[in-house]
Amino acid sequence: MALKRKKAILLALGLAAVIAILLWKPTVLIYGLQSAGLYAAIAIPMGLILGIVHIVNLAHGEFMMVASYATYFACKALGMDPLFAIIPTAIVTAIFGWIIFQVTIKRALKAPELNQLILTFGIAIVFSQAVNLIFTSQTYKMPLDYVSASMDIGDLTFGVWSFVFVALAIVYAYGLKFFLTRTTAGKAALAVGQNPRGAAIVGIDVNRTYGLVFALATALVGAMGALFLTKSAIFPGVGSPFTMKSFCLVAMAGVGNIPGILSASILLGISENFLRAFRGTREWADIVFFALIIIVILSRSLKGRKS
Amino acid sequence: MNRTLARTLTAVAVAFAVTLPAFAGDYPLQVARNVMLYMALAITWDMLLRSGQISFGIAGLFGLGAYASILGVVRGGMPGWLSIPFAGIFAGLAAFLIGFLILRLRHTYFSIVTLALGEIFRIIVHNMKDFAGGPEGIVVPQGIIFGGKSSSLYFLTLSGLAVALAASYWFEKSRFRFALTAVRNNEISAKSSGVDIFRWLLVTFAITSAIQGMLGGIFVMSYGFASPDTVFSADFTLLPLAMALLGGIHSTVGPILGGLLLGLVAEWLKLQIPYGHLVVYGIMIIIVILFMPQGLLGLVRKLSRKDDRRAV
Repeated sequence: MALKRKKAILLALGLAAVIAILLWKPTVLIYGLQSAGLYAAIAIPMGLILGIVHIVNLAHGEFMMVASYATYFACKALGMDPLFAIIPTAIVTAIFGWIIFQVTIKRALKAPELNQLILTFGIAIVFSQAVNLIFTSQTYKMPLDYVSASMDIGDLTFGVWSFVFVALAIVYAYGLKFFLTRTTAGKAALAVGQNPRGAAIVGIDVNRTYGLVFALATALVGAMGALFLTKSAIFPGVGSPFTMKSFCLVAMAGVGNIPGILSASILLGISENFLRAFRGTREWADIVFFALIIIVILSRSLKGRKS
Repeated sequence: MNRTLARTLTAVAVAFAVTLPAFAGDYPLQVARNVMLYMALAITWDMLLRSGQISFGIAGLFGLGAYASILGVVRGGMPGWLSIPFAGIFAGLAAFLIGFLILRLRHTYFSIVTLALGEIFRIIVHNMKDFAGGPEGIVVPQGIIFGGKSSSLYFLTLSGLAVALAASYWFEKSRFRFALTAVRNNEISAKSSGVDIFRWLLVTFAITSAIQGMLGGIFVMSYGFASPDTVFSADFTLLPLAMALLGGIHSTVGPILGGLLLGLVAEWLKLQIPYGHLVVYGIMIIIVILFMPQGLLGLVRKLSRKDDRRAV
């Protein structure tokens, strides 16, 4: 009961804060939501891997970066719009992710956590440095005019294209929820995530499920990479900040709580953009996220100690 | 390994390291300094790893020490040589205070938090435009320590390495080893045998961070310049990690071996492939983790054991 009241108070405070910001600086909310969508769409596949395969994939952002590069050069060669490349990229990265899983991560599933962490860290280095080696650190950008579409409300003008990330994040979150609870393959994956041994006893092929889940997650992040290309310039290091951000969001939401990633992203997106809205604090916006990680992880660990 | 052989090898290595400036030119000395710096970082990383805690924050503490040292000289009017121990003490104290909070974390959470802390230090320095020079960095007006004489700089870095080696040796030979190994193997059983886990971890974290900070001080003093992007560079986390892993973790010899090998390879690769030579590092990390998780040292041990059996 006390917990419920506390939650209600927090919710009311949050709402009040949102309304206050909306009245005072509406762009904070708009851009905050847009970056929240971007963060969430990248973090959700990581949450899927962490929740079911129980691996912290430090190469997560690099998978997206590689997908963006692949999309860029495919689109350049075929004169195609990146939007049409989303599905093909997803398929290609799914296969790519499956191969990477079979060749490397599968062998380390039973290894200590340290080894898994360093292994995916090594994969991340290989990806980013291989791209660096082939394409140098030059940035590439797709010139697209629909990206700069904007909207006016009163005397307020803002870009609307980034709302596609919000849409994608929502599709990912609820699509995955549907997949995991309504389909046979999804239910099997959920069972493996909850108890691999139990799942193996009832006849689920655990390693195959891990491979499929990993492939699915890389497909999602690959599709995101194609979409990311419409908005941003790409370079070898473009993915790595998102690895950290994704991990932070997943940790904030709690492992296995995919819709929770959405709300965590909103918190991160809005607080970052809040700092960005002022001249004096603009440069400090990057620190929000790191401070948030530390606060969240510490408070979680302390809470865990109490119970 | 045979004890006399080990002693002879150590003596030869020490003699070689001390006499190197007598016959080597500036470029080999520069390479040797780089190798020794990364090697020392690898050893300190491994010292904390012996308790099972993986730090990804080497660059953070290295950079913190580097800035403590350079600001001590530029803003505090310290002589260059004094700023190096100051950097060590500063980083050690900072780690001690931070340790109270973060050493309760385990596994991935600890690693991620150390990584985040490093980034926080970098952003803070980046934003301190007036005091610390901001993104453009800061230069020591007096120039490089010892007038930039390459043999003096060599000995400076060598003494940094010696500190790291001495600390690591002390860890191996004292009660630290038992305490840290016990924590690594099983925390619950360690606790029930009376090991004060938190205290051991805190002391270890503070000592390794102090050495990392001191190395940061040595680094900036021998270049006379620091900027957020150079001293907080991910290389300072990445290369030591790869070196310790390749050589063999949980020992002093492992990081030395790995540092020597990877350091020289990196120097050679840098000349061959200007962009993306780190890809070799990544591949090496993957191969080591997958196929020889005990590193070169483990491989040697395994092979020698096989030989013994054959001999019997």
